[in-house]
This record gives sequence, C-alpha cells and structure tokens, in this order.
Amino acid sequence: MLNARLLVLLQILSLVVASTVGTAQAAVIGTADHYAQQSRSQQIAVVDAVLTRDVVQQQMVAMGVSHVDAMARINALSDAELQQLAHKLETLPAGSGALGILGALFLVLLVLEIVGVTNIFTKL
Amino acid sequence: MLALLTLLTACASVIAPPPDQAATELVPVPFFPQAEYQCGPAALATVLVHSGVATTPEALAPEVYLPGRLGSLQLELQASARRAGRIPYTLAAGPEALLAELEAGHPVLVLQNLGLRSLPRWHYAVVIGYDPARQRVILRSGTERRRQERWSRFMASWERAGFWGLVIPRPGELPASGTADHIGPQLARQEALLEPALAQAAWERALGRWPGEADILFATANARRFRGDPEGAAALYRRLLLAAPAHMSGRNNFADLLLGASCPAAANAVLTPASEAVTGLPPRVRDAIIRTAADIASQLADHPTDPAHCRELAGDLP
Repeated sequence: MLNARLLVLLQILSLVVASTVGTAQAAVIGTADHYAQQSRSQQIAVVDAVLTRDVVQQQMVAMGVSHVDAMARINALSDAELQQLAHKLETLPAGSGALGILGALFLVLLVLEIVGVTNIFTKL
Repeated sequence: MLALLTLLTACASVIAPPPDQAATELVPVPFFPQAEYQCGPAALATVLVHSGVATTPEALAPEVYLPGRLGSLQLELQASARRAGRIPYTLAAGPEALLAELEAGHPVLVLQNLGLRSLPRWHYAVVIGYDPARQRVILRSGTERRRQERWSRFMASWERAGFWGLVIPRPGELPASGTADHIGPQLARQEALLEPALAQAAWERALGRWPGEADILFATANARRFRGDPEGAAALYRRLLLAAPAHMSGRNNFADLLLGASCPAAANAVLTPASEAVTGLPPRVRDAIIRTAADIASQLADHPTDPAHCRELAGDLP
C-alpha cells in the first residue's frame, strides 16, 4: 500500500518536472513540434496526456503487468504513442508466436472437421 | 468449410521476387528460441544484441509482454528498444526496403500474420537473409534458428501485417532504406525519449546523408544547441536560411539563439521576415515568433547595437 502511494507521488513529481521543462524554452520551436505542424495526421486533438497515461496504465495492470513495470513502460512511451494505445490494448496486434494455443486449437478443430469427427463449421 | 478453404488461398496475394538480388545471410545474428507466446521478447533480443546491447528475452519480457494478450505490442517493442539506448525505426513499407536493410547488414524484426485477415495470428520474427536461387527468405523464428520460408508465402504473411518491420541500428547509424521524409519525422517523434547525445548523433548522421534537407538542418541545429554547442548550431541555422529563407521555425530558433548570445540587433534582422509573415503560420510557430519578437524588443531597448562577436555568429544572411 505504502509502495503504491510512493509510486503515485513519484509519478506526479515526474509529470511536474516534465511539464516545467517543456515550458522553459517556450520561444523556441521544438523539432518534434515543427515536424508535427507539417503532417495533418499529427494534428489530432490534444487529449489530456495525464488522463491517457492513467488509462493505459490501468489497462496494463488489468492485463497482468505489475504496477512497477507498468509505470516504467508508460514512461518509455511518447504522448502520441500513449494515445494510440489507450483503449486499444485489447485489439492491437499482439505478436505471440508460431505455435499459440488458439492456432493449435484451430488446427485440431479443422482436422477433426475434415475427417468428419465434428460438425462445428457446418452446423446451423 | 469449402468457403473457408477458398478464403485461405484467396488471401495470398502474389508479390514477385526481385529479379537480380544477391544472396545475403547475416550469419552472426544471434538466436534466442522463444518460449511460449514470447516471440516478442525473443525477436527483440535478437536485434538488440546484434546492435550491441547485452540483453536476453527474459530480461525484456517485463518490458514488452502483455499477459492479458499472450503477446507483445509493436509500440512496446519500440519503447523497449529506446530503454536499451537504441533508436527503433519502422521500415518504409515493402520488399525493396527489406532487401536494402539486409544488404546493409541490418536484420529486420517483422510482424507476420500467420492466420487469416479475419482470424489473425500475429507473430514476430527476424529476417536475416534471402536466397535468390531458391527464392527463400531466411529467418530467426520461434524455435527455429534458420527457418526458410518461400518468398511468396512470407510476403503474403508480411503483407497481412501491413509490411510492418523494425530496424534497430547501432548508435549513430541509420536504416539503409527510407527517405529524409521517412526518417526525419520518426526521429523527431522519439527525440524527447532519447539520450540527447544519442539523438544528436542520429541527426548528424542524417545530415551527412541529406545535407540539403531543410528540416534535417533545422533538427540538427536544434540538437546541437540543446547539447550546448551554439556556434555549431548557428553554422547550421545559417546554412538552413541560405538554402530555405522561408523556413520560419528556423528563423525563430536562430533569432532566439542570437538573443541568448546578447545579439539583439542580429536577432532582429533574422526574425523580421518571420514577423512579417506570422498571419499565415501554424499557431505554435506564430506564438513562438511573437514571443521571440517581444524578447528582442526589450533587449534592443537597452542594447541597441550588438557587440563585435555577433557578426561572426550571425554571418551575412540575405
């Protein structure tokens, strides 16, 4: 419990630091900003970055990632990347391997179907 | 049932193999046989170790594996590469880019869809070679150290995954394929998450490859300034404005640099064309220019003439 609170505090601190660093050189145009001005796809509405971080972190934890790992993973993603992930952790391609259980199961079903043991695919 | 089988074969669109391709195989690329569902960490470790990082799939799993999905996401592979001190670049789509990377000695981490479009089975593998005589793509994949897939079969599975590929070069190197318009934005988007020295090295390399690209000049100048090299940055801003006088972001940042070097008159000369054009500019550029102009005005009031060192720093700009 204490650990979790400490983490939240740390996270708030990191956000505060990040936002002050961002405004320190306001008269300079950052490289990322400059490039973003050029591509329309980058100019999507700026969603609340803090909220997005929360959403993704909660989803990661719900999917079995530890709190500590989830926070480190969030910190390694840009705001734009977090926006791409938010609410999509369930649907984005997740590479798992050449021999996933689902694939094997599918193959077994297919073979059973072909040799006539089952009628899963033909039944109404 | 029959419909399903038809669907299976109909999905395989044909991509012709390259006619005169030299045989390549990056034999030294390491191999990590994947544990169940762990093709993400295994493939990532393969390319990271090849780029000089000491790591293992087991060490990377907590950074990329999503237990709830029994797999790993593309964006998290990229994030993990950055955590290891490397810059990941997605491949400019297609077979040409893949072969160009192999020829340059870069293995390519690819996403394949081994299933159907409607029932996808996502898999990460690392392409390490191509055998033109037998039309085979050579991969480190799953538990196979040297898997050979027929060109057409591999291309169909790769195409179903949007030709997604990742190149992770050694620090200071860039992918062999891709234009300035492909590499520049990727580097820019990731820069805030990278070690400044690492990012600058990549920009300098990009500048070496595309010495005339305005945005690469701009980005490299910014990186030099950020790393405490105003003279080096000024040299690039001058080059930029000589080549592209209408680069308003460049004018603004150069003016800001000159202002920081106590050269408000020179800064004013650089910024004036931008100030006159602000109405048509994107909001963030416009705001920055207005702020810089205000800063210049307040410094000019106290110091109307520049000290001697400013002439060299500002150069002779049109």
